[in-house]
Amino acid sequence: MDQLNASREEIKVEILSAGKSGIFGVGTEKAVIQVERLSPMPELEEDAHNKKNVAEVAGEILETLLDLMDIDATTMPESLQTTNGEEQVTPPLAFNIQGEDLGILIGRRGQTLAALQYVVRLIINQQMKVWTPVVIDVEGYKQRRSESLQALAVRMAEQVRIKGEPFTLEPMPAYERRIIHLALTDHPDVITESTGEGDARKVVILPDQGSQS
Amino acid sequence: MRDLVEYIAKSIVNAPDDVQVTEEEDEQGIILKLQVADDDKGRVIGKQGRIAEAMRTLIRVKAAKAGTRATLEIV
Repeated sequence: MDQLNASREEIKVEILSAGKSGIFGVGTEKAVIQVERLSPMPELEEDAHNKKNVAEVAGEILETLLDLMDIDATTMPESLQTTNGEEQVTPPLAFNIQGEDLGILIGRRGQTLAALQYVVRLIINQQMKVWTPVVIDVEGYKQRRSESLQALAVRMAEQVRIKGEPFTLEPMPAYERRIIHLALTDHPDVITESTGEGDARKVVILPDQGSQS
Repeated sequence: MRDLVEYIAKSIVNAPDDVQVTEEEDEQGIILKLQVADDDKGRVIGKQGRIAEAMRTLIRVKAAKAGTRATLEIV
């Protein structure tokens, strides 16, 4: 669907082989499908309108959740600027939650915040039948974390360059590892890799042996 | 505590009318039992239990605010 830039309603999907989703993701097998576009590309205007609705719904979902969690806070929609000039086809919906004592909402290493964001995405997905990237931040936590991770990446890359030895960072969630990878993509002297599984997955910064183009 | 689980579960399943949450309390804290239609089990558990785990994380926040503990079971 992403490839066609079409929503679920605009295409016809023919299942050639069902594949296996496997319960709990075990024994997953890719399904083979044939996708056909049914209607012409949607008008931009219509798209923008749809986006607005999703934003409203997302805001309501988030507020309902916070309310049910007995969190006293204000949610503010934000326009998110892309960092590092990375490619971003659809700008994600972004919300910043503001209030007192919201550390509880961030959790250890941002775990609670990640869970909140995930649940909001799931609900939107089910209600609007579109997968919408929603980014939720608490008191600018992610922004600050992102800046300190970028600084850390640059500092450690310098160490790796000087010592010529790989350096392994502490385990991080996927979006934090992504920040490290992105911060060092254009670094001339080092490359980055992720190792380990699940919660223990971490970024390794290695000296570039010169073969990389 | 029940309403939080109920809201999330009803919002992510295909058969919201079949969602039932019961709440019990013992010396350990609150035990929430979530029941959904068989076809919806995967939707509240998720791959590697990711959805259930996210719900537990959010419940923990609410429980902590109330000075108690809460566990979520999917039955």
